[in-house]
Amino acid sequence: MAEPVANAAAPAPAPGRLRNAFGGVLCAFTLILIGVLAFSIRLFSVIKYESVIHEFDPYFNFRVTQFLSKNGIYEFWNWFDDRTWYPLGRVIGGTVYPGLTLTAGSIWWFVNALNIPLSVETVCVFTAPIFSAIASWATYLLTKEAKGTGAGLMAAAILAMVPSYISRSVAGSYDNEAVAIFALVFTFYLYVKTLNTGSLFYATLNALSYFYMVCSWGGYTFIINLIPMHVLLCIVTGRYSSRLYIAYAPLVILGTLLAALVPVVGFNAVLTSEHFASFLVFIILHVVAFVYYIKGLLTPRLFKMAMTLVITVGLAVCFAVVAILVALVASSPTKGWSGRSLSLLDPTYASKYIPIIASVSEHQPPTWPSYFMDINVLAFLVPAGIISCFLPLSDASSFMVLYLVTAVYFSGVMVRLMLVLAPAACILSGIALSSAFDVLTRSMKFQLSKLFDDGPAISGNGSPNGSSASTVNTSSSKNEKTEKSEAAPKEKQSKKNRRKDKEVTESVSVKPKKEKRLSVLPLEASIVSTLLLIALGGFYVVHCVWAAAEAYSAPSIVLTSRSREGLHVFDDFREAYAWLSHNTDVDDKVASWWDYGYQTTAMANRTVIVDNNTWNNTHIATVGTAMSSPEKAAWEIFDSLDVKYVLVVFGGLVGYPSDDINKFLWMVRIGGGEFPHIKEPDYLRDGQYRVDAQATPTMLNCLMYKLCYYRFVETDGKGFDRVRGYEIGKKHFKLTHFEEVFTTHHWMVRIYKLKPQKNRIRGKLKKLKSQSSKTSSTLAAGRKKNPWQ
Amino acid sequence: SPLILFPCLLTTVLSFPRRSPPPDPHPPIAMAISPRLLLPLLLAAAAASAFAGANDLVGELQSLRSRSPAGVIHLTDTSVTRFLSSPAPRPYSVLVFFDATSLHSKTDLHLPQLRREFALLSASFHANNPDSSDLFFADIEFSESQHSFSQFGVNSLPHVRLIRPEHSRLADSEQMDQSHFSRLADSMVEFVEARTGLEVGPIVRPPLVSRNQMILLGLLFLISIPFGIKRIMEGDTLLHDRKLWMAGALFVYFFSVSGGMYGIIRHTPMFITDREDPNKLVFFYQGSGMQLGAEGFAVGFLYTLVGLMIAVVTHLLVKVESLQTQRFAMLAVMAIGWWAVRKVIYLDNWKTGYGIHTFWPSSWR
Repeated sequence: MAEPVANAAAPAPAPGRLRNAFGGVLCAFTLILIGVLAFSIRLFSVIKYESVIHEFDPYFNFRVTQFLSKNGIYEFWNWFDDRTWYPLGRVIGGTVYPGLTLTAGSIWWFVNALNIPLSVETVCVFTAPIFSAIASWATYLLTKEAKGTGAGLMAAAILAMVPSYISRSVAGSYDNEAVAIFALVFTFYLYVKTLNTGSLFYATLNALSYFYMVCSWGGYTFIINLIPMHVLLCIVTGRYSSRLYIAYAPLVILGTLLAALVPVVGFNAVLTSEHFASFLVFIILHVVAFVYYIKGLLTPRLFKMAMTLVITVGLAVCFAVVAILVALVASSPTKGWSGRSLSLLDPTYASKYIPIIASVSEHQPPTWPSYFMDINVLAFLVPAGIISCFLPLSDASSFMVLYLVTAVYFSGVMVRLMLVLAPAACILSGIALSSAFDVLTRSMKFQLSKLFDDGPAISGNGSPNGSSASTVNTSSSKNEKTEKSEAAPKEKQSKKNRRKDKEVTESVSVKPKKEKRLSVLPLEASIVSTLLLIALGGFYVVHCVWAAAEAYSAPSIVLTSRSREGLHVFDDFREAYAWLSHNTDVDDKVASWWDYGYQTTAMANRTVIVDNNTWNNTHIATVGTAMSSPEKAAWEIFDSLDVKYVLVVFGGLVGYPSDDINKFLWMVRIGGGEFPHIKEPDYLRDGQYRVDAQATPTMLNCLMYKLCYYRFVETDGKGFDRVRGYEIGKKHFKLTHFEEVFTTHHWMVRIYKLKPQKNRIRGKLKKLKSQSSKTSSTLAAGRKKNPWQ
Repeated sequence: SPLILFPCLLTTVLSFPRRSPPPDPHPPIAMAISPRLLLPLLLAAAAASAFAGANDLVGELQSLRSRSPAGVIHLTDTSVTRFLSSPAPRPYSVLVFFDATSLHSKTDLHLPQLRREFALLSASFHANNPDSSDLFFADIEFSESQHSFSQFGVNSLPHVRLIRPEHSRLADSEQMDQSHFSRLADSMVEFVEARTGLEVGPIVRPPLVSRNQMILLGLLFLISIPFGIKRIMEGDTLLHDRKLWMAGALFVYFFSVSGGMYGIIRHTPMFITDREDPNKLVFFYQGSGMQLGAEGFAVGFLYTLVGLMIAVVTHLLVKVESLQTQRFAMLAVMAIGWWAVRKVIYLDNWKTGYGIHTFWPSSWR
């Protein structure tokens, strides 16, 4: 545990200089170890699988980084990508958060400048683990500002292995969050540091750090709302100080100016409602600062007069600003809020109005096991941390509490924001554990030394009065000493807290009887409690290692399953993408559900219709409609988009649950949202989604069903779907407008080609028509024969 | 997926009294009339309606609608016969909500809520199509009109049926799917629009506070601002009470970690009844994708409890003077804490099915 180490790290006067230096070295050494821990716990994915980029979004980031390293920053800035969102294309430079890409690009450039020939992919794979090590150091700094070195080390160690953060930052998970959590924590650290010191230097750094955060992640709006909230809280509870002004005012001005430099944010930094809170608080802060300034200038009587004047003027200004803001907000259709932010404020918003946000699994509200999975025993410790922050309450610790409360609320709405909660939970758990260990080890140390010094006198506990009286004499001199030298290392709290404690002791020492006794707990109970807490920490470590190794390391493009015969590897995705890149023309368009867009462009280098950057709902709805339409209608939709190949992901053969059939209802919902002829009830039998014999005819005739289950019956003769757990409804059918061109080894990816349109030959038109009607009639007849309908 | 599964849980089977008379000591009027009397009455009514023509019925329905709250006409056995058993092509459709006052207390059925939503649907339709006589909204109560319930073949609630102009037999009418209750009035609109081809228009939900109340609140707020600022300047408001902030923070934490937001978004009940044994209540749902309200709050309570106990030991118990008290309290805290953590770990393993294990070097085994 980091705790005993921390004890030595606190400052002590003259004789403690050596001890102080020793503590500093030990602290630094611990931090290095924590960094190593944070880095190495994230390498399970590389060890168990391979050094490969994970999942979906990271592939896009990887592709952008490749482009950046090949073409340079200016080309990257002006990059118009015609490989995606065909035929619209996408302006990459203006629509990505460039922080991650630029970071990895500069690391790559730097490493190569040192003649270390790392590939771009290697740099991308290991960016996240490197930054989690840095993030845990930033957590140390932040917690140290609030509650001292011990709590800082504890929090850093906890953050290094918190599962929630591991899930987004294993090696290969090359996503914005990887660097953004560091930026988030570091920005908070600089804010708190400025708040504690009142230094303009840190304030400037804070704005720069905020700029980095804006570059990295859309979650920066959390910062620009949380810090104003804290400022407002400080003002309202009467904690205004010039330090608060220095911490906040430069951040708003510089931060907003810098944020507007990021193309993807641009004028949003002043135009959207997410940022308005910061401006409002900025105004309030100035009014309050002005009041305090006037108060210093005037006599109390004059001040009272001025006060009324200021209040009236201030209120007038406030109302004017509020009115303008309300007018601005009301004039925009979504009231100026983006859908994601709105669904945070009104949790039921997304599920009602924006299926595309509600459809993403990481936007679902979490259940209690999610908390236990993602922050584990920290869930038990956080309340203790909250209470520790209130005793005593400082600017920094109130910020911690506010951060935790907002983050825990947001995480309750969207499971994705568990990631923002993780640092807060780590900090508060660190504080809780640290203060608990502090009390327990102090009791142990104090009583052990007593036990050895004057053994029999204390061992019998006797009457409490007598024992305390005897301890008063023996320990009163010691008590004073401990204040100076011995207890000081134990009380590793921030200077401010210690000052406060001293104030308390001083004020109470007027009443001599009460304060003489050093507050301790019984020895044996302390020992057992310490052991229990260590056991709790041990369980946390076990859980984190398990989560890192088993739960969060799967790259999800390579799947494995353990069976009796041994390890089975499913590498179907890369097989399919490789097939596409080798067997299709460079300019062919591939349609698939948006989940696979990024991977197709990055790995197969083919143009896609929609991808994971879900910026155009209509376009996605078009693909959803095509997938939910019958073959002919779908063919027409795809043909109008110049699509040559259609790719579906099918897990029925091997039992891969997140396949397109399971995602299909969302395609229907999103498609139906734009094209009303697609109706969800048509695909449901009595509200149940099913593809077996009970399925509706619409379901059994839609393109997605046909492409997934085409020739499926040939595999086992029965058409048993291992994901859904039953035999499919319609087993034998032919495709009229599509032809199968490739199916991977385990049937997980199936690629179809659109059949070319038949030539229209004059004179044969009639014949053709009659033929087609014949085929359709035979089809219909075949349908009638189906005994299940 | 829980979204789809959930509505199925709502249905409860209504029990029809077969031989025994209804328990109600004052049977409704329609039941009091003996079948011998009823038959001629019905015949007369049917004949009358046929002769009087459809226009009279429409006019009557319209006047009934204008007298009913939210435009939902209350039907009884007689009026069902009068308006819905008339010969087939009627000039109107009727959407009927089947209600049972005795089941209002069953929370998992959400009958009162659905009834309110139904009224909202009716009011919105009426507001958007003021003169429409194509579609009427009606409700019918089980204890008053058991005959109609059996005629419609309704034996489970919640139940909504659409009787279109061409339906000649009541049982032919179309039942609204469970899936259409899932999003309340908004999904009911989809059903109505799909089946009748009529435009319902946007649902007009009454605002939580009316306009006058809003103005009043606004005025009160404006008046209170100067006083509030004065109090804040002096530093003696509730806002300066740290205990309040602390309690608030702990409550938000408790509510969030117990997945309370999940309950709000997904409308999950606190508990459900076992499907196999209706007398048994299920508080804990196996499977990590879904949770019930009660289990969430129970675990959230355990989460918070342990933290609070640690805080009490570190900050409060230290200051207690009596060693005995300290010892006893710490023992209790350790025992409860141990039990709570074990319980949560057990519940988590049971619910998610994960087997968390350690990784020892293979040479150690």
